[in-house]
Amino acid sequence: MTNTIRREILIPQPREQVWRAITDSATLAEWMFPNDFEPRVGHRFTFRVPGNPKANFDGLTVRCEVLECEPPSQLVFSWSAGGPVENTQVSFRLEPDGEGTRILFEHSGFDISHPFGKQAFKGAEYGWARMFKQLAAVVAGLAADRN
Amino acid sequence: MHLTRKQLLTYIAGMVVTPNREPDVFTAISHPARRRMLDLLAEADRSVNAMAGHFKMSRPAVSQHLRVLLDSGLVTEKRHGRERHYHFVPERLTPVREWIALYERFWDDRLQRLQKLLSKKSEK
Repeated sequence: MTNTIRREILIPQPREQVWRAITDSATLAEWMFPNDFEPRVGHRFTFRVPGNPKANFDGLTVRCEVLECEPPSQLVFSWSAGGPVENTQVSFRLEPDGEGTRILFEHSGFDISHPFGKQAFKGAEYGWARMFKQLAAVVAGLAADRN
Repeated sequence: MHLTRKQLLTYIAGMVVTPNREPDVFTAISHPARRRMLDLLAEADRSVNAMAGHFKMSRPAVSQHLRVLLDSGLVTEKRHGRERHYHFVPERLTPVREWIALYERFWDDRLQRLQKLLSKKSEK
């Protein structure tokens, strides 16, 4: 039981520009979260998702490692946030499409049947329930930002 | 799926209140043996004996895992002559699918921001 999120987006800007937006740490922070990304394979970095006091959410650190980096066409990094979202993979494939770029986005490796040890399930604050709560808080925070 | 912020928080609160008394679905699917049981039950309703034949563990251990599945609502039992048959209720996996849906919303939001950022930058 694993699941993959896939999205395909057509963007009018050329690949080089999209590549910069996904691989320049400062630009990446503008649409993702504060990070210490560097575009080289093997580099370990984090995204720091800010807290949301209204949703009783302390914030979250996502641990990542660059797995593939081939400018300007392919960026893959691991994405570990705990529980079943450990060593999942986020990938951006950029294909030229006329003047623009086709972004093939994928987030794979969710183990929705994550084999938790007994330790992980001593209470509601662990494992899936905790992951769910954190993510819900992030999403709620995103929705609140827009309003 | 579109949830308002209030619905989301209600949902989260609900998840936090229940797990200790009633094993939630996430806990229920956390054990490999229970997932195997669900796979077997997804093929057909089965009795506990028919299930036990697929496992090396003792009958009581099989029953105990079945109990967790029953408590989570993922499985129901029906009398069938002298035996009880167990039946998989896939609809109960909805919270798991909704969890993935939350991650989808997360990425949709981020990718939308990426698009906006790029169009802003190319205007300059």
